[in-house]
Amino acid sequence: MLLSLALAAVLAGDPVPGLLVERRLAEAVPLGVGDTVRVRALASGRQPRPFVVAGVFERAADPNRIARNDFEVRFHLSDLEGLLPTHDRVDRFAVVLAPGARGDSAARWIETTALGTRAYSSTGLAERTSATFAVVSRFHDAIGIVTILASAIFLLCVMVIRVDERRRDMGVLRLIGVSRGTVFRAIVLEAIGIAVVGSAAGAVLGMIVARIVNAYYAHLYDTTLRFALVTPRIVILAALLGLALGALAGAFAAWRVVQVAPQKLGER
Amino acid sequence: MTDEPGRVIEARGIIKEYPYQGDAVRALRGVDVDVSAGEMVAVVGPSGCGKSSLLNVLAGIDPPTRGTVRLLGDDLYGLDEGARSRLRLRRVGFIFQRFHLLAVLSAAENVELPMAEAGVPKRERRDRARELLDYVGLGHRTAHRPPHLSGGEQQRVAIARALANRPEVIFADEPTGELDRRTGAEIIDLFARLNRQGTTLVVVTHDAKVAESAPRVVEMADGLVVGSGVRP
Repeated sequence: MLLSLALAAVLAGDPVPGLLVERRLAEAVPLGVGDTVRVRALASGRQPRPFVVAGVFERAADPNRIARNDFEVRFHLSDLEGLLPTHDRVDRFAVVLAPGARGDSAARWIETTALGTRAYSSTGLAERTSATFAVVSRFHDAIGIVTILASAIFLLCVMVIRVDERRRDMGVLRLIGVSRGTVFRAIVLEAIGIAVVGSAAGAVLGMIVARIVNAYYAHLYDTTLRFALVTPRIVILAALLGLALGALAGAFAAWRVVQVAPQKLGER
Repeated sequence: MTDEPGRVIEARGIIKEYPYQGDAVRALRGVDVDVSAGEMVAVVGPSGCGKSSLLNVLAGIDPPTRGTVRLLGDDLYGLDEGARSRLRLRRVGFIFQRFHLLAVLSAAENVELPMAEAGVPKRERRDRARELLDYVGLGHRTAHRPPHLSGGEQQRVAIARALANRPEVIFADEPTGELDRRTGAEIIDLFARLNRQGTTLVVVTHDAKVAESAPRVVEMADGLVVGSGVRP
């Protein structure tokens, strides 16, 4: 359905119906509450009708519509029907239930009352329309797994190199009587420390980058949608993963070094 | 093998072979050595004669291919690795040619390290580290890290570290090898002082001055002890 909108002078006589315009449209025209606009459906061939801007609303952030730069206007249903060339025809409508009402009962009632109508709960509708995002989300999961694997290998290499650089020191410790266990624990603790600090730094960097990304897209699409999220759950997960990967990388590097006889640790 | 009172080291029939290109190179070919408590023994000989191999075997660092070593009453290679580590930590001190201090730690922290491993309380090990660094003449350099110390100073820190857990015997491998003559002489004086105070020292050296300072010299050649003498 396409509607055209034009500013118009206030007409005397009949009460002018109200409509709501979304904030972006109000800013683009510009429009304010109390302004009068003339509206017609492009397909109808009818004369435009005046409406008073009764309010300005912020459109709910919807990733499905982010790339479509259309504006939204809300009419009373009867007014909308009056604008359209065909009557008694509605593609979609939303029903807000009273608190405590059962959505599935209401849906069944609507479907039996208005034959051919399909009713969905908001959750069901969200699931149907977000199938694309589920695929994107799986891609994100895959990227996350690859990143974690790459980080684990990187951490392992860092620890092996750090320990190899200090083989001589480890050898000295062993020669003067420091036990394998102490050397092992020291290396593992160091690796955990590096991993946890790395995770914390990564989380902080992630938060900063997320802010920048969100600010950029908020500006680009004029939306309140957030494209990058670093939630407390993600931070905790990163810290735990860091802890586990650090322990594993440290244990591997430490195991390599404590297997070597102390007098050979100075050799290359 | 006997376990004579006052005997710190008793090594019998020590053979040490190293694998080399599918063959075995024999570094020690049946060495017997005894060291009594309070002795200072210099092990001398040409390069490759097996001095350092003998030191490693006597100190519990490298097991012999054959033979037995009793160190401070224990059959050294009858002990498991952990027990040998504990023995080295608590009853033996080591001094190396290249000092082998941990560069990331201060002088005092390097000295504290063996005490920390031995479970000495923090305050006590801090006090003792300062006391030992005073003893070796480095009381004013406790906070310095090894890269900021001269070779002689680093070797003094290494000596203080070797003394940390009040060892009954100290093994030193070419302790003056990296030092100039004057600094080497200071280290020799320090060893003599330690020995006078009752510490047993086994020193592997090329340095004639060190050998001259030792009351007893064990001479090695080609993996064998070829001479042993006590200075009058």
